[in-house]
Amino acid sequence: MEIKDLHVKYKTDEAEVFAVNGLDLTVREGETLGLVGETGAGKTTTALSILRLLPSKVGEITQGSIRLDGKELTKASEPEMRRIRGADVSMIFQDPMTSLNPVIRVGDQIAEVLELHSKKTSRAEIDKRVDEILKMVGISKDRKHDFPHQFSGGMKQRVVIAIGLACKPRLLLADEPTTALDVTIQAQVLEMMKELKEKLNTAMILITHDLGVVAQTCDRVAIMYAGRIIEIGMAKDIFEGKNHHPYTVGLFGSIPDLTRETRRLNPIPGMMPDPTEKITGCAFADRCQFCTDRCRQQEPEEYWEGSHMIRCGRFGQGKEAEA
Amino acid sequence: MSPTDSVPLIQVKNLKKYFRTPKGPLHAVDDVTFMIKEGRTLGVVGESGCGKSTLGRTILRLLEATSGELIYRGEDLLKYNKHQMKEMRKRMQIIFQDPYASLNPRMTVSEIIAELIKVCKTLTDKHAIQEKVRDLMDTVGLAQRFVNTYPHEPDGGRRQRIGVARALATDPEFIVCDEPVSALDVSIQAQILNLMMDLQEERKLTYMFITHDLSVVKHISDDIAVMYLGQCVEKAPSRELFRNPKHPYTQALLDAIPLPSLREEDKLKKVIKGEVTSPINPKPGCRFAARCPYAAPECTAQNIPLRDQGDGHCVACVRYPA
Ligand SMILES: Nc1ncnc2c1ncn2[C@@H]1O[C@H](COP(=O)(O)OP(=O)(O)OP(=O)(O)O)[C@@H](O)[C@H]1O
Ligand SMILES: Nc1ncnc2c1ncn2[C@@H]1O[C@H](COP(=O)(O)OP(=O)(O)OP(=O)(O)O)[C@@H](O)[C@H]1O
Ligand SMILES: [Mg+2]
Ligand SMILES: [Mg+2]
Repeated sequence: MEIKDLHVKYKTDEAEVFAVNGLDLTVREGETLGLVGETGAGKTTTALSILRLLPSKVGEITQGSIRLDGKELTKASEPEMRRIRGADVSMIFQDPMTSLNPVIRVGDQIAEVLELHSKKTSRAEIDKRVDEILKMVGISKDRKHDFPHQFSGGMKQRVVIAIGLACKPRLLLADEPTTALDVTIQAQVLEMMKELKEKLNTAMILITHDLGVVAQTCDRVAIMYAGRIIEIGMAKDIFEGKNHHPYTVGLFGSIPDLTRETRRLNPIPGMMPDPTEKITGCAFADRCQFCTDRCRQQEPEEYWEGSHMIRCGRFGQGKEAEA
Repeated sequence: MSPTDSVPLIQVKNLKKYFRTPKGPLHAVDDVTFMIKEGRTLGVVGESGCGKSTLGRTILRLLEATSGELIYRGEDLLKYNKHQMKEMRKRMQIIFQDPYASLNPRMTVSEIIAELIKVCKTLTDKHAIQEKVRDLMDTVGLAQRFVNTYPHEPDGGRRQRIGVARALATDPEFIVCDEPVSALDVSIQAQILNLMMDLQEERKLTYMFITHDLSVVKHISDDIAVMYLGQCVEKAPSRELFRNPKHPYTQALLDAIPLPSLREEDKLKKVIKGEVTSPINPKPGCRFAARCPYAAPECTAQNIPLRDQGDGHCVACVRYPA
C-alpha cells in the first residue's frame, strides 16, 4: 500500500480542522509498521481515510492518493470499498464500541463475521471456531452469550481483535489494539498477531502510544506529528540510530523508566499547534529547543540516511555534523 | 513525598460485588480489603476484566455493593442514604476509563465540566461557574476554543483532559482514577501524571489509581494492590513490590512488560498461557492456578487468604508461609 501527499480536513460548525497535511507512507507486503505520535496527530484519521470511513459530510480527503496493490482507493466506488473492507483490509478500532453491536450477543457477533468469510462452514464448526477464538484472546467460553455492556473495556477490545483477526485480512489497521489490556494478555495478543502475519503474510499498521510494544513487534516505525510523518525508519534506526527528530527525542524522554526512581517525568513542553490553523514552517518549532528563524519560515525537507528519514532542518546539506 | 503520619481516609473491608447473570453470580469483586491514607495513592493493577473498574465504582456507590464495609473518615458509606451520598459526591470523584463512552455527546465541553458544580451546588453564580470552567480548562491544558464544542470532536487525549477537569470541578478530596492516562501518548501522559501529582501535593488529594501500565503505577503509587479475577492477590509498598514480587501472577505481569529497546536481553520472555478461569460461580482455591507454573493440588483445595509476610507485604499464595 502506498499513500502519497494525503491531506484530510474536518469541517465542523466552529472551524476547519486540518488533521492530515501531506502524509507519505508505504507499507510493504507482510511488514508491521508502527505508527506513533502525539494525541491528535492524525493517526486514526489516516487509518479511516484508507478505509474511506471518515465521518460523512464532516471529514474529507482534499488531496493525495492511496493505492492498494496499484488500485486507487480515494476514487473507488462505495460497493468496491465495501468489498475491500470485507476481504482485503480490516480495522481494529480504538473505541471497541464502534465495531460491536450493543444488542447482539458477543458470540453471535463473532459467528456472523466467520460466516461471512467462510460461507460453506456448518453451524457446529462455526460454534467451535468461536470458542477457539475466545480462548485465544483469553475469554472463557461461557461468556459468549453475554452482551457487550457486560464486558469490561479490555474484554470488549479483545473481542474486537478476535473479530479483526478472524477475517484473515491482507492489511490490518490496528488502532491502539492493546491499550486497554494488561501486559500478560497484551503479550498473548501480540503473539497471535505475529502468528497471523507469519501464516498469512498479513501486513499491519499498528497505531500505538506504547514504544515498548513497537520495539517488540514492529519492523518499521513512523513517527507522526501534526498530520505528517516527521521521522520513519527501520526499528533499528529509530531505537538505536544516532540522529533523531527533536520530537522523537522528547517522546522517548517522557516514558517513565522502570529502572529509575524519579518524582517528575519529563514531558515535551507545550502542546501541538492548533490544527485549525495552517502552519508555515516546521510544526514542531514552538516546542523545539533547536528552533531557528529558518524553521519558522520554511517547511524542512526530508533528510534520508539509508532507510531512515528525518524531516528536520538540523539535518541535510552537510548539517548532520553539528547534530 | 507524602506525609507519613497521615490517617486512613478510606478503609474497604471484605467488599463484594456480584453481578447476577443467567449462569449464576459473577464475582466481579470478591472479598477485597485495603485502606488508603490521606494524601496517598493506592495503585490497583490487574488483568482486564478482573474487577478494577467495578471496585472503583462500588467504592463511589455508583454500583451497589453486595456486602462489606466502606469506612470513609470513620463512617460506613454503605449505610448512607441517597441524600447523604449526594453530599459525599462532591468530595469523592471519578475519572472514567473510557473517554469515549463516559462523556455525554449531547453536552458541550463547558456543560460537562460544570455539570457536577451545578448538581452539587458548590457554586451558583453563573459567572463564577464560567470562570471556574475556564480555570479548569487551563489547569488541564485544554484550549479555550473547545469550550462550546461537543466531546466527540476533540481527539482521545483532549477528551480525557475533559474528564480530569470534570472530576476536579467540585474540589474533591478523594479521586478514583480509572485508567486516566491509558489512551494518551507518552508525552501527554507524562504531562497529565505530573499534573495529577502536583494537584495531589497542592490539594492533599487521595487517589485510587487504576491502571494496567506498570511503569505508570510504579511512578505514581505509594502502595500497590494486584488483583486477579475479583480478588486481591498481592499488596505491598510500590518499591517493594517491584523489587520483590511474590505472587506468580505479579511475577508474570512484570515479565510481560514490553521494553522500548531492541536488545536481545530485553526481548519479551515466554508469556504465560492457559485459560482464564470464569468469574461466574468460581470454584474455591486460587483463581490463577489454571495458568500458574507452580500450581499444586493444595492450590485448589481451599481459599487462600492474603497473608502478611512482614513490612506490609501481603500475598495470597500457598508458596509463602502462613
Ligand atoms: N469528527 C471530527 N470532527 C472534527 N475534528 C475531528 C474529528 N475527528 C478528529 N478530529 C480532529 O482531527 C485531528 C486528528 O485526530 P485523530 O483522531 O486522527 O488523532 P489521533 O492521532 O488518532 O489521536 P489519538 O492518539 O488521540 O487517537 C484532531 O485535532 C482531532 O481533534
Ligand atoms: N453490568 C454488568 N453486568 C454483568 N457483568 C458485569 C457488568 N459490569 C462488569 N461485569 C463483569 O465484571 C467483571 C469485572 O469487570 P470490570 O469492568 O470491573 O473489569 P476491569 O478490571 O475494570 O477491566 P478492564 O481493565 O478491562 O477495564 C468482568 O467479568 C465483567 O464482564
Ligand atoms: Mg486515534
Ligand atoms: Mg476497567
